[in-house]
Amino acid sequence: MIRRVLVANRGEIACRILRACREAGLSSVAIYAENDRTGMFRELADESVLLEGDTITETYLNGAAIIQIAKDTGADAIHPGFGFLSERAGFAQAVMDAGLIWIGPSPQAIEQMGDKMSARQIMKRAGVPVIPGVEIEEEDEERALADIRQAAIETGYPLLLKATAGGGGKGMRVVHLEEELESSARSARREAVTAFGDGRVYVEKLLQTSKHVEIQILADTHGRCIHLGERECSVQRRHQKVFEEAPCASMSPSLREQMGQAAVSAAKAVDYVGAGTVEFLLAEDGSFYFLEMNTRIQVEHPVTEMVTGVDLVREQLRIAAGEPMSVGEVELRGHAIEVRLYAEDPSNNFLPAIGPLAVFRPPTGPGIRLDTGVREGDDVTPHYDPMLAKLIVWAPSRSEALQRMRRALDEFVVLGTTTNIGFLRVLCDTEEVISGNTYTTMIDDVFPNGYEFNPTQKHLDVALMTAAVAETTGMHRMTVSSSSSKEGISSPFQTLNRRYP
Amino acid sequence: MQHQFRFNSEIHEVTLERTPKIWTYVNHCAHPKEDGRVRIYFEDGTKAWAHVAKVGDIWWVHHSGHIYTLERIEPGASANEHHGGLVAPMPGTVLEVLVSEGQTVEAGQTLMILEAMKMEHRVVASEDGTVTKVSFSAGDRVEQGASLLEVESNQ
Repeated sequence: MIRRVLVANRGEIACRILRACREAGLSSVAIYAENDRTGMFRELADESVLLEGDTITETYLNGAAIIQIAKDTGADAIHPGFGFLSERAGFAQAVMDAGLIWIGPSPQAIEQMGDKMSARQIMKRAGVPVIPGVEIEEEDEERALADIRQAAIETGYPLLLKATAGGGGKGMRVVHLEEELESSARSARREAVTAFGDGRVYVEKLLQTSKHVEIQILADTHGRCIHLGERECSVQRRHQKVFEEAPCASMSPSLREQMGQAAVSAAKAVDYVGAGTVEFLLAEDGSFYFLEMNTRIQVEHPVTEMVTGVDLVREQLRIAAGEPMSVGEVELRGHAIEVRLYAEDPSNNFLPAIGPLAVFRPPTGPGIRLDTGVREGDDVTPHYDPMLAKLIVWAPSRSEALQRMRRALDEFVVLGTTTNIGFLRVLCDTEEVISGNTYTTMIDDVFPNGYEFNPTQKHLDVALMTAAVAETTGMHRMTVSSSSSKEGISSPFQTLNRRYP
Repeated sequence: MQHQFRFNSEIHEVTLERTPKIWTYVNHCAHPKEDGRVRIYFEDGTKAWAHVAKVGDIWWVHHSGHIYTLERIEPGASANEHHGGLVAPMPGTVLEVLVSEGQTVEAGQTLMILEAMKMEHRVVASEDGTVTKVSFSAGDRVEQGASLLEVESNQ
């Protein structure tokens, strides 16, 4: 039985979970750092408690403080969202040791899947195919480098270096040439140490023009473990997904069943409970390989919700409370697409941007869902991930979903902070996206010299006229005088190597 | 009514004409609304919307799915051109400095590695030149807008 849930997260996903709690009739507690004092998620909780401190280690990663707040506020369960503490087995264990319900899989399952090497080994044993590659256990820098050089000879180039403890593209490097190996390996290890406190990497063959296809699974404590079809998330920049859809355009029912069964086997191999995702690379010839399992709710979960009609976060709450999942026979209906809106500059190598959200007018209308943690007037700060919102559309067919996404992006007005909306709109018109022939390195191939926005003279004239009219007529009502204005700050990153992940 | 804006490092001059209720430029007309939107009328009878807001000295305009950032240039002000200084676009930490003062560098060479938003970023020379100033060392925190290094161009 769960009555009161503490959401150990912030921003968009905290809003998503807090709303689910409200709908389920559960009361909720939010936690926030000082720089999130005005955050929208605080307003959606019944109560919110400040985490003292300046760094995320003192705030959103401070497991002990969070558990204490849960006890003090009478919460009986903790939902970790994604990122932060969501995949830390030690935290999950501490939550349970404190007599609270952990909304997620067991610490053992998190640990087994969180370590990419043990995950690979478990998958091999469970009969799930894995990518040819070499696991480097060595922790000493120089000896690890020697092992990596040896492994590179076996896998050949191009290859991928990945942080063993990693995720989100951090500590990941594509290496095309032997000369680049050492500097890339050092850099990957350093980034991995910073991000995860674990510098171990593994070397695997880079499968080119493959698709990233993942299977959503749900397992309850009453012995039921099912898959809810796939999501295709091939369109990525810096190894981070920007465009996700369900179903995958090239999926056949028999392949879906094979991959679904592989995902269910993966989940069963670690006695999985709750919502999870098994990620695969799908090669052009239809063979697929286990990438990793995410033992938490995922950013792109809404596309699965749209095509299955299942509320995954509600199911997480139900399963954690010990109830059976309420999902019947899963049927896929229509097509859903999600794009991630980032505060970033696509014409400057997707460098994160900051600034005020002077205007934030999302699109509305049938088949449109917006999951966000910001609203007009908020400031985009450099403290956290630059994702502002997820725009999700649903339509009966893929082509209609794409038409709806184009319309929605055209309507979406964000002024004051540079975003990738224009880039996402251009993406919707690329041959690869229209045909569904998307693959993981597509953005680099379609925009080999980076993305550049070159407006037509007519559109530029309209923009200039608008600014001039606004200036002349004193449309300063919307004026924001902010230290984060772009003025006088020119970026040194323009010539950044695009292959840098 | 004359205005100057910088867009994509080019300066554009705009001269508006006014009829009683409406402004015109080239062959397009604009009618400003109270809510930060501007109704656009084209010569062929079609219409569109533009959204506008000012942040600092920049006018942000949304039109037809794209954003234009137009920096307002004060009449008579000299264009403040940028000369080889490399500026931090956001707060972060210096991880590594790969060059020293007096060193010659080539366009594309990595000069410094920064960590910001949990990612590593390389600061890269935009042209061939000589490093004349290195303002930070490894481990230093840098604020947004801080001048990281200066490179004097060979050209």
